[in-house]
Amino acid sequence: MPFKRTPQTFNSSIKTVKIGTGDHAVELGGATTFPFYTFDSQSNWVPKIGVEVSDLGVGHWPAGIREYYDCAGSVAEIARKASQVKGADFVCLHFEGADPNGHDRSAEECVQIACEVAEAVEVPLVIAGSKNTEKDAHLFEKIARALHGRNALFLSAKEENYKAVGAAVGLAYGHKVGAESSVDINLAKQLNILLNQLGVSTESIVMDPGSAAAGYGFEYLVSTMDRVRSAALSQNDAMLQMPIITPVSFETWNVKESVLPEEDMPQWGPAEERGVHMEVVTAVACLASGSDAVILRHPRSIETVSSLIRALLG
Amino acid sequence: MGKFIVIGERIHCISPVIRKALSERDPGPILRRAKEQIEAGAQYIDVNIGPAESDGEELMQWIVKLLQENFDNVPLSLDTVNSKAIEAGLKVYDRSKGKPIINSANAGDRITNIDMAAEYDAIVLALCSKEGIPADNDERMLYCQEMLERGMSLGMDPMDMWFDPLFLVIKGMQDKQTEVLEAINLISQMGLNTTGGLSNVSNGMPKHIRPIMDSAMIAMAMQCGLTSAIANPCDQRLMETIKSCDIIKNNTLYADSYLEL
Repeated sequence: MPFKRTPQTFNSSIKTVKIGTGDHAVELGGATTFPFYTFDSQSNWVPKIGVEVSDLGVGHWPAGIREYYDCAGSVAEIARKASQVKGADFVCLHFEGADPNGHDRSAEECVQIACEVAEAVEVPLVIAGSKNTEKDAHLFEKIARALHGRNALFLSAKEENYKAVGAAVGLAYGHKVGAESSVDINLAKQLNILLNQLGVSTESIVMDPGSAAAGYGFEYLVSTMDRVRSAALSQNDAMLQMPIITPVSFETWNVKESVLPEEDMPQWGPAEERGVHMEVVTAVACLASGSDAVILRHPRSIETVSSLIRALLG
Repeated sequence: MGKFIVIGERIHCISPVIRKALSERDPGPILRRAKEQIEAGAQYIDVNIGPAESDGEELMQWIVKLLQENFDNVPLSLDTVNSKAIEAGLKVYDRSKGKPIINSANAGDRITNIDMAAEYDAIVLALCSKEGIPADNDERMLYCQEMLERGMSLGMDPMDMWFDPLFLVIKGMQDKQTEVLEAINLISQMGLNTTGGLSNVSNGMPKHIRPIMDSAMIAMAMQCGLTSAIANPCDQRLMETIKSCDIIKNNTLYADSYLEL
């Protein structure tokens, strides 16, 4: 019997969320099929790549990254160079240094850095916090006010601080709100509902249903993202139709495969190579499971993932 | 499987308020009832204009346009024995939010409504009866087959034929209830969609009992495969039951606020 191909089409789609302004604005989402299923239906979906920039500069990052940013002194200067990385769609300014258990940088200092970066780059900005929910709520409110009109995306509102973050970022200053849950599909949906009930429109929410480096509970993350996308499309679940962003580099550059020096693990080869591999492998697997945007650190990872996307989506 | 579909039943000429509004072409009460049903979670709104022998066509067009213009082209179920009125309604219907439903066809003198559904690419509610109530499930399934074949021979997608086994009133036909559930099961096993007028079940019962009985029936019927019902979406207990059954059947993804959606 000849094979009869039946395209899997849906009467639903992932919402499109615009970040940034003017000619440099970028749209996240818009998928009408499962990721890269171009054989089911043609669509304009193209996943986006953000470049991570730390408020701590590049001094603590591998030599290859430092080399790329050579001469770039201030965070703003680094961000400007980041926006020029081949394949980059947006810059993610990550306030690692704001963590109260680390450098505990003040909100005022962070605002100043954010403003300088906003001045230096034209591409859309994603603001990532310190992972401390209390500090982030305070920090995001101040930065959202300072960047009013830039249409930035803030990562993220969580169950613990969604009211403060949603109200300041989404309602008061019209930015886009990231909704982060830790690999829990029911909570991912619930957080979207709660933000929506707060008044944040579904077109202003981008989900981060959790992230992990490949090999670190990654199958669980992939299955969660698969189910989110499946429910969004096949069950037409409006509370799961937000685009997904995955800050891949936040995870992959912390695992031993990326960190252990070659002296300790000669059989593993150069650490930086491994780091790039971890970042690329994780990012590609996330894209295949439904990420509409990934955040990466190493210029070589960005170039690799970007060329893969171009090759698959033409 | 998708979510269970509720066709809101509250625009019905049997209600004196609606009957008066229909005859006077008074939008107020009709829009109010449509609004409360949509807000309560009805995906479709049934519009029963009665036989409307003299002015059915004009009346159906008026109410279809009225509801769709006011509620973002809400999908409707056109409910009357007057086929000409249904056809008139189909002609002005905007399908951007969903196909129209023809309510209804049967295996008897209303079988030509299936032809109309095929012609207009509509969904048709297909009553498994010919004259009156079918004697048993053999009869129900015979009618189901007859209607299915007719629809398919006209090129209809079988999923657009929603088969109604006929819910029966408990007070008087208590011994027939499990048979109705079995019929739903039989039709569902063929992979087909099913529907029915749920409120029949509790007809004649005290007002405070009806939501309880309707909820119990819907839960049992959903387990048998029922995919939609013509029901009262303003019945909170009923809607909570349907939403909970949708979760248990894995038709929708659970979230703590699922009842608020």
